[in-house]
Amino acid sequence: MSETHQHDATTTKRPAGNLRYVCYGNDKESPYLPAIKQLISKDLSEPYSIYVYRYFLYQWSDLCFMTLDEQDNLIGVIVCKLEPHRGGPMRGYIAMLATQQEYRGQGIATKLVRMAVDAMIAKDADEIALETEIDNIPSLRIYERLGFIRTKRLHRYYLNGNTAYRLILYLKPGIPYKPTYPPDYPHMEGDDAQNPAQGLLGEDLIQRQAAQLQIEEVHGQRHDLLQASG
Amino acid sequence: MPSDDLADEASPLNDKQNGGDDLSDPATAEARLQEEARRLRKKPISVGTRGVRDVTEDFVAASEQLQPGELVKDEYFTLFEAVGALEIMDPKMDSGRIPPGDSFEPDFDVCAGLNARQVLWIMDELFRLEMSFQDGYPLSQNIFTSLHVFRLLAPENRHPYHLRFNGPSAKDETTVELQLVHFVLSAYCIAVVKCVQCTLSSIQTYTYYEEEDFVTYLFGRELLPKLSAVDATRLLIDAADWLETSGLDEPVRDAIRLRLLAREELLTSMDSTDEGIDEWDKFRAKIRDIRQQHELATPVPDAFSDKVQRQLATSTPPRPMPQLSWDQACDKWLHLCDDILATRALTSFRIRQSPHCLQRATWAFAYRQPPPSTYARAKMQETLTAGDCVAGEVSHFDLMLTDIRDLVLAGDPLADPASFQVEVPSDPRHRASRLIEDFMSRMFGEYLNLYRMVCQNRCRMRRTFTQTLPIFDELETVAHEVDEQLNEIVVPRLVQDMSGNWHKHCPLSTWLRLHKLQIMIWTIQLGFETDLYLPDELREIFTVLEHLTRTRLSCLIQMELFVVKKLQLPEAGKLSRDDKEQCRSSSEWIKSLSLQEQVNVTLSSLLSSFCTTLEDLALIDARSKPYSQSQLRYEARYKPFLGLQWDSVPALEDLERQGRAEAITLSEIQQICTSYAEAIKTTRGMLGELKNMNPTQAKYVGTEEEWKKGIKSLETTCVAISVAASQLQRICEKHKDKLDRLGEVAEVSFPVPEKRYHVWWVVPQLKEK
Ligand SMILES: CC(C)(COP(=O)(O)OP(=O)(O)OC[C@H]1O[C@@H](n2cnc3c(N)ncnc32)[C@H](O)[C@@H]1OP(=O)(O)O)[C@@H](O)C(=O)NCCC(=O)NCCS
Repeated sequence: MSETHQHDATTTKRPAGNLRYVCYGNDKESPYLPAIKQLISKDLSEPYSIYVYRYFLYQWSDLCFMTLDEQDNLIGVIVCKLEPHRGGPMRGYIAMLATQQEYRGQGIATKLVRMAVDAMIAKDADEIALETEIDNIPSLRIYERLGFIRTKRLHRYYLNGNTAYRLILYLKPGIPYKPTYPPDYPHMEGDDAQNPAQGLLGEDLIQRQAAQLQIEEVHGQRHDLLQASG
Repeated sequence: MPSDDLADEASPLNDKQNGGDDLSDPATAEARLQEEARRLRKKPISVGTRGVRDVTEDFVAASEQLQPGELVKDEYFTLFEAVGALEIMDPKMDSGRIPPGDSFEPDFDVCAGLNARQVLWIMDELFRLEMSFQDGYPLSQNIFTSLHVFRLLAPENRHPYHLRFNGPSAKDETTVELQLVHFVLSAYCIAVVKCVQCTLSSIQTYTYYEEEDFVTYLFGRELLPKLSAVDATRLLIDAADWLETSGLDEPVRDAIRLRLLAREELLTSMDSTDEGIDEWDKFRAKIRDIRQQHELATPVPDAFSDKVQRQLATSTPPRPMPQLSWDQACDKWLHLCDDILATRALTSFRIRQSPHCLQRATWAFAYRQPPPSTYARAKMQETLTAGDCVAGEVSHFDLMLTDIRDLVLAGDPLADPASFQVEVPSDPRHRASRLIEDFMSRMFGEYLNLYRMVCQNRCRMRRTFTQTLPIFDELETVAHEVDEQLNEIVVPRLVQDMSGNWHKHCPLSTWLRLHKLQIMIWTIQLGFETDLYLPDELREIFTVLEHLTRTRLSCLIQMELFVVKKLQLPEAGKLSRDDKEQCRSSSEWIKSLSLQEQVNVTLSSLLSSFCTTLEDLALIDARSKPYSQSQLRYEARYKPFLGLQWDSVPALEDLERQGRAEAITLSEIQQICTSYAEAIKTTRGMLGELKNMNPTQAKYVGTEEEWKKGIKSLETTCVAISVAASQLQRICEKHKDKLDRLGEVAEVSFPVPEKRYHVWWVVPQLKEK
């Protein structure tokens, strides 16, 4: 997700001793939710409402992992989902990842990503995708070192106008040959839909959908440039 | 405050016990929702009277029936909607929130009179904000924040759209200050709105990507629908005339007048699709004076307010938007004019006669610095495609036929436009041209996309290329069929290559394949430009690029063979002078294409070899990664090419490195680096030959500067490779005892696109630690 650029301003480092890594688990409204929201939104340029967090945690609580210290303070978190992508491959999606400023650079996020990836593999994911800003070096490092590759650059992907990379990790062979179908709705990680704007409801949504449909053919991800010039 | 409670209610921090109904019963929940919906429908909130009802208590009561964290959603509720939700009263999300002590509406009377310097400032502020709209930011954050504009666009306002609804005509206002507002400023605002409308209509007519290129959303407002652009220009002229008699001080009067006239020229230009009557250059010429006169203006910041957002139909909170300074905005206006004028220059008569010159010109347009705006790119698409013609003159049919002729059918009656006029059904020319016509009509969309895709933003350009490949692949099958049918109508031409193999002339499939291979190559190259490849992928990607460029090169060599042969055959004597000229020029052009492709082949082969050596020395870390499996990574990386039936990338086995039996030795390194010198010399020789080809031969008419620059940057790339190789050799010689751990003393870096000599060629750089 889009974030403000604070990753360089590492203040005093805290040692990563005695940290625990736990799964968010089945608790619908765990006591950690406020802390998760706070940790994530600290680095976000755009605020996400509580519903975004609930959307993920309610449905994929088993794909959310947390790093806790001895006092159960939240040090790091990863939030994901897993569902079929456009009726095609089972796509895991890493939505949020953050480590407390003072604990960065000690492999915490890497460990969280590995736990999430392993959990998605165990749940039979075909592929894992995510987006990250092109200048978020720590984030790119983590994923690329694990084996993700950049498949697309997404121009002005975020509401703040920043550009992103789509990173992909295939987990099973034959994915390029799997058919996919265009989404009924503009989809967050849909290839041709944008990262959804905040607060798009009703009219806005339809408006945007229409704008997207104008350039999206019924089958495949193809833009009918010819028709658009009509 | 009740509203604070409300915000808390939505927050999980609130530990309130849930009370009330058991909501696990869906029937109850549904009934309740329906009841609520019914009640809501009964009391519509009219915009005019702006009925407000405090729903806090209802809301609190309703939400108390839910468990904290409970997600009430149906199967159509996607992440998109989740992100769309916002927290009421959160200042960052809720743009309708009124902070304590603030008023709902801005405190500014748009009908009040203003002095000339203030009016001047508002006009300039609009001019500045309009650039932020042109930059792709939502109207709600720029032009609509003008309270004058906002008043004109009020839903209850009617034609002729006065600031004073149903008020008297501006001429009847009693003071100069009032007339300045109701006559001059109002006309200017109306014209700005019409410019917005023209911009949107151009952009929406052509291909663009909502949000990433442009926000076209109007927030529920209409752009003065009953008033045309022409009406608006008349208002401007009337206002300018009135100024003459207004008795205002000269400098400020002239400044306002200049703005009215400049706006009139801008609007006329934007409104017309006929380059004959537009006035971009005249408008551009005025920007300098406008910029300077700005110092005469007196700020009226209260005439603009973000509070308008509270009344706009949206729940999108404002997004971060860079503030443009007056000077930056003026510079951007100048760039916009230059870009639009460039769409003319780059499709001029000399250029559009040749499809290839036009291709080059389209690329030149796309690579202008700074990058052309979305509006300019729409204008370029308009020039290229409106009315199925280029610049209203060269029909797309002629453009494509010329493309085919220049490459594969020079001097051939098959591609002679006259053949398409033959109507005798038994005439082979008639039969052949029907076949070609049929092929062309199936090909049109994709062919024109070769120009249109280049007008997209760079990330999209690459992606649309990957999307067009499967279609080209299918059309290639069609082309093969048509070629066979053609070869039954006309006697097929045969040539023998240097290895003694015979080839049958298959014009259409060859032509199509050449373009398709070009798209495959561009896809890889734009991958470099958008920085998609990691260091440990470079060796392989360069190998793939070498494979594709080699394939295209052999395609070109065969094409050259056919056209050269045509001139050498005994029948050549029967060719008309025009036909011979066509063949000669075609062979020259193919020659230039071959040279360019050969340069690509050598550079990719050199760099693939260099990266191999860097891997051998462990300067590029090519060890496997925890979750990476080579087959899967291969599929992810080459997805756009997999599944094509006619051409593809090499198989994984052919790309994988053969493990070395022994460690690399110094003499090997010396040998490798010396071998580069030879290859680079040959490459520079080829670049020299290209430099000597004139614009007609190599078809770069109208883009001479870019041609020169392109060659120059390839020459510099050659130099950079030499430097890197000799640097490597030097380091290895100095540390010959450390070849197995050279990483201790040397490091390699990969310049980001902006730092490369050519954005498509990443040359590793070495330095000692
Ligand atoms: C990205 C983030 C989660 C990383 O957390 P972390 O626990 O520090 O991550 P790790 O320690 O596992 O790995 C970080 C890697 O980036 C490197 N890194 C950290 N800061 C860096 C910097 N400024 N420049 C270059 N590399 C940097 C680290 O050295 C480490 O790589 P290494 O192991 O090769 O040294 C953390 O910076 C963060 O919370 N950022 C804000 C939110 C965000 O950007 N989320 C990701 C987008 S979804």
